[in-house]
Amino acid sequence: MVILITGGSKSGKSKIAENLLSAMENKIYLATMEPYGEEAQTAISRHRKQRMGKGFETVEKSRDIQELDIPGGTGGILLECLSTLCANEMFSGNEPYPADKILDGIKLLKEKTGLLVVVTSSVSCDGIEYPAETENYIRALCELNIKVAELSDVVIEAVCGIPVTLKGAVV
Amino acid sequence: MILIIGGAYEGKTEYAEKTLGISESEILDGRKCDLREVHFAKAVNNFHVLIKRLLEDNKINTNEFIDEIYSVNPDITIISDEIGCGIIPLEKSERLWREETGRACCKAAELSDVVVRINCGIPSVIKGELP
Repeated sequence: MVILITGGSKSGKSKIAENLLSAMENKIYLATMEPYGEEAQTAISRHRKQRMGKGFETVEKSRDIQELDIPGGTGGILLECLSTLCANEMFSGNEPYPADKILDGIKLLKEKTGLLVVVTSSVSCDGIEYPAETENYIRALCELNIKVAELSDVVIEAVCGIPVTLKGAVV
Repeated sequence: MILIIGGAYEGKTEYAEKTLGISESEILDGRKCDLREVHFAKAVNNFHVLIKRLLEDNKINTNEFIDEIYSVNPDITIISDEIGCGIIPLEKSERLWREETGRACCKAAELSDVVVRINCGIPSVIKGELP
């Protein structure tokens, strides 16, 4: 089963994602943020604190998630998040348009676990036309979001911490 | 009238084509179409940019423009980006455009029988029922 969670910045996406996996044994937190700079460090430690005691094993992979060797018997994976992963692939990894590459990685993860929860971000509602490079990133992430939503059983939009179901139903 | 809204690149046009059965050639591009064409078109895309053009032109009132579309072409489908979810722009003209687009979408939604919001390619019917 795949669940996609979207929403704006600080809308409570991670918490909803973590709660969805709370009952699972042997779960992996797949962290994609590159640990460079003060703000990244702050975000990482805030998320670590939030996850503490919830039973996740943290795996850090900022690019090339298709290379991950997920052990058999993994009950759940929380991938956080597509917007960071997409930016890393494009701006650190020199992938001009990584939508399909990341999608392939997600399909592989899906095969390795009972419940894959993917967190992404809503980035295209501000009406601003950005420089070509940024506009290309927004387009790639949106395309990826649409494709992951297609293969997902459930899609949730986080609004002020409230999960609004866009597709399917959480059982 | 049907209104389709959502952020940029969320799959709004694909929805109009696949679900509402409007072909690509029947969809006007609000970025460059003749304003009068909207009176006869099956659908108009980039409505938010069309609003910007109205503002720049400064001859036609947005509200009246939408009223007129509704009176002569009540079956039109309007597709607009949602543009109001970021920081208030520094540039005055950008601020005015953002506000005018928000109000225009409210007006169009009021007149529409059906309003569909697209997010990650997924439609949510937030007003009425699809025909």
